[in-house]
Amino acid sequence: MSYDIIVIGAGHNGLTCAATLAASGRKVLVVERRDIIGGLCAGESFHPGYSHTGLHQDTTGLRLKMVEALGLGKHGLNISPGFPDVYVPQVQGSGLLLAHDPKVAAAEISTHSPDDAVRYAEFRAFIARIRKIVEPLLNDAPVNMFNPGPKDILGLIPHAIATRRLGKHEMLDLLRIPPMCVADWLREYFSSELLNSVLAQPAISGAWCGPWSPGTAASLLLYECTKTHGVKGGAAALIDSLSRAATASGVEIRTGAEVKEITLASGAVSGVTLVDGEKIDATTVAASCDPKVTFLDCLPPHAVTHKFEKHIEHYRMRGTTAKVHLALSGPLEFAGRPDLRVEYIRTGEHLDDLERAFDPVKYRQMPRRPMLEIYVPTVARPDLAPQGHSVASIMVHFVTHGLEGGWTDERREELGDIVVAELARFAPAVKDSIVGREVLTPVDIERRYGVFGGHILHGEHGLDQLLTRPAPECVRYRAPQDGLYICGGGSHPGGGVSGAPGYLAAKSILAH
Amino acid sequence: MASKYDAVIIGAGHNGLVCAAYLARAGRKVLVLERRDVLGGAAVSEEVYPGFTYSVASYVVSLFRPHIIRELELAKHGYQLLPLECSFSPHLEGEGLVRWPEAAKTRREIARFSQKDAEIYPEFGLAMTKMAFLVKYILDNPAPDPTSLDPRELKNLLDFGKYFKNLGPDMLHLHSQLLTMSAVDFLGLWFESEALTAAMSVSGIIGTFLGVRSPGTAYVLLHHYMGEIDGAFRSWGFSKGGTGGVSMACARSAQSYGAEIRTEASVACVKIKNGKSSGVILENGDEIDAEAVFSCLDPNRTFLKIVGENHLDDRFVTQIKRYKLRGSSGKVNLALDRFPDFTCRPGDGQHVRGDISIAPDLDYLERAYDDAKYGNFSAKPFMNVVIPSLVDPTVAPPGKHVMSIFVQYAPYHIKEGASNWPSRRDAFGDAVINTLSEYCPGLKDSILHMQVLTPWDIEQKFGLTEGNIFQGELSLEQLLFLRPVGGYARYKTPIKGLWMCGSGAHPGGGIMGSPGEMAAKTCLTSGGV
Repeated sequence: MSYDIIVIGAGHNGLTCAATLAASGRKVLVVERRDIIGGLCAGESFHPGYSHTGLHQDTTGLRLKMVEALGLGKHGLNISPGFPDVYVPQVQGSGLLLAHDPKVAAAEISTHSPDDAVRYAEFRAFIARIRKIVEPLLNDAPVNMFNPGPKDILGLIPHAIATRRLGKHEMLDLLRIPPMCVADWLREYFSSELLNSVLAQPAISGAWCGPWSPGTAASLLLYECTKTHGVKGGAAALIDSLSRAATASGVEIRTGAEVKEITLASGAVSGVTLVDGEKIDATTVAASCDPKVTFLDCLPPHAVTHKFEKHIEHYRMRGTTAKVHLALSGPLEFAGRPDLRVEYIRTGEHLDDLERAFDPVKYRQMPRRPMLEIYVPTVARPDLAPQGHSVASIMVHFVTHGLEGGWTDERREELGDIVVAELARFAPAVKDSIVGREVLTPVDIERRYGVFGGHILHGEHGLDQLLTRPAPECVRYRAPQDGLYICGGGSHPGGGVSGAPGYLAAKSILAH
Repeated sequence: MASKYDAVIIGAGHNGLVCAAYLARAGRKVLVLERRDVLGGAAVSEEVYPGFTYSVASYVVSLFRPHIIRELELAKHGYQLLPLECSFSPHLEGEGLVRWPEAAKTRREIARFSQKDAEIYPEFGLAMTKMAFLVKYILDNPAPDPTSLDPRELKNLLDFGKYFKNLGPDMLHLHSQLLTMSAVDFLGLWFESEALTAAMSVSGIIGTFLGVRSPGTAYVLLHHYMGEIDGAFRSWGFSKGGTGGVSMACARSAQSYGAEIRTEASVACVKIKNGKSSGVILENGDEIDAEAVFSCLDPNRTFLKIVGENHLDDRFVTQIKRYKLRGSSGKVNLALDRFPDFTCRPGDGQHVRGDISIAPDLDYLERAYDDAKYGNFSAKPFMNVVIPSLVDPTVAPPGKHVMSIFVQYAPYHIKEGASNWPSRRDAFGDAVINTLSEYCPGLKDSILHMQVLTPWDIEQKFGLTEGNIFQGELSLEQLLFLRPVGGYARYKTPIKGLWMCGSGAHPGGGIMGSPGEMAAKTCLTSGGV
């Protein structure tokens, strides 16, 4: 069998890459290790009658440019207007519902702090202005900073002009904020810790640090500048439409096809060998798996230089996220606001709570009071659970991959209990309505999804790893091995449900 | 009675004195005003107890710029450094780790922990030394302003860019990592041994409210590799007679060029009319007129205390208020009856004639930081200990010693409130002595006198807001063209005729003299005085 291009992994980036390539007439095969497609976005049943919509929950970073280019609307993708409302509950008090409508949000914030309501409008306005600078940088292939050619420098000129147009004050702000810690940046705006906490969370989701670590402001800046609309039906719905679009343009998708090795002939890619021994030929391979798996596991050792190997070894992928899926016999009800039915909930009443949630990771300990990022897919899709029942899909931050003494079945259940106890502080009724649960430790995530360290972003979003992702040898999707490309979250502009790495990698492959 | 000077300098810290010396050397009539009765600011020696001279605050010297020493003829005026020979990290079990002046000896020492680390250690030093040239470039040039459209500025920026490009892709990559990574992650690119990593990582956190695993701490590691003493690269030293010796040499140099220095002359405010300064008014009511006023105080004190918010626009005031001055360290100075042995390596040999770091492992350091994050001083702090009397007999009576202990973390804002530090001072001192006694059991019995400085004390004594020893955190968002705030990183202030010349200006804290030098030179070349 021979193809123009083989894409490894049928996650959202692999499928995006494949669909984009096939739309330009290439003969593309996608090989997926698991029996289902979707990768970290795969929706699955976790308890008889109950399904979640993927390990990833936040779909607000999806690039609309890619959605349009692939015509995903035609293939059933439904984008909700505006980014979704987020609720942060309190143990005492009614919490804060951060609505996507800035006026509604301001009204709610003013019940906590009238000043903050005004400042929130300023914050949104600031984001809207700098978004014009940041977004294009993230929607283009990155500049090769370490060995810039004339083209790179010319390419930077429009960005430089746009930045100067911001005016001196905001240009200085744009340079000042990224290295800061998110706690300091938000506290420049707001006095309400509830508001600070709910805004800070995305900056540290999947990170190996808390809100007081420098560089986390950059993560929030990137998040806020690419946040658009949520996908109706969550990440799984994106996978459905992507696979339809890919298939419609002629992409072949094979599941249960694990790659053993990317084969090389005289230094150039010649195809892949599957675990069952089957060889498939192609002169181009695009790997959407993470950089460590791609370069350290899938390539023959002699194909990687010592220096490059070191760079990839030092690429940081320390998983800090666990996942708990709860099957509930009723709605997820918060004591502070029992009638509220909202898709997105984040816990943490104070930035200190978030920082304390991270501390145990440093000592390889079980979390005590984790920070929970909750998604209730049944609000939009009641069919994922029996009538009147619901599903709570919970990303748990921060849980160490390298637990002292190792992860065992008992420790996994202990983690599940800790998460339920933490949730019950805000939603006491939840304990009695659990009919089933699934707990995935970072090690489980690593095994199930084949991602090193169980790192949901295919590599930490530290400043250094955003500037150079994943290593100077392949900052623009092109690996040092002829014909090999990377197209997953381990490449620019990073992990999460954006589709940007897959899309930009495909563009890069087509340009060569 | 009003007297008229070309320039008045507020604060006789080392930067103020360097600034004064440069201005006087250029023929200007200069007056330095010092609030205390001793010169030196935080670079000061004081005989706190008879016979024992302490470097009360700042305790080691390395970054002092060699060209300043030359240009101001400081050697002639008594500037003398004694080399710091070793870096010793005692452990509770085993012999601890010493990095010696001889490379081969250090390699053998490291090999006890990891053969691989021993092999690669020299390579690391080489990479750091290469990178230190970048920092030298930064320290010796005013910060380029990326927002200016002035062609001269654009040229500065281009020179900066060219400098980077010439480093080549590998070094450039390493630089980008150095600027953004944590000390531990950065060291992890080379080393596997935790003992070595812990011992080395602490130079990334000194004076900073961050942990060794916090991003942004790698950059400060470089400072350990760029000391220069008598042209010998990467060495650190004690100033003879205590750190105040550096300041005294600067003072004598300034005086030799004709500068006047007045102590116990506390400035109440800067005289400002129509956005222009015309001199200062002292606490005792004296008015002193001057063409230019230089403040060596930190930005907070300069603008919010002696200038006053009413003379500044709101935006600038907001920026000054959010400028981070987070005191995170304290100091304990001891007078000792005899040399106390370290259990893991007894004797007063070469290994203790340098700095001694209590940093046994990474979790230890992180736990010390975690205490501080939530408003406590570290129960088991990181400590950097020096015993200058071993190499400089002038600072203690024969057979006796002075021990200087830099302690981190001691947050200024403890949860009891900063003003309650005096009631926590003894407990803080006890935590320090008890922890150090675990490594050095004879310590308690050999103490003759003990001086404990909490960050609150440092603020009271030295006028450093929140007790921040660098006049502002050395974090990326407060460096270069952003120090202390964007648009005012060239020593000028919104008040015409008022200049900044302290560590709160580019390139920041440490005993290097650069802010004082560049403030004076900038003012002179721009016709400010």
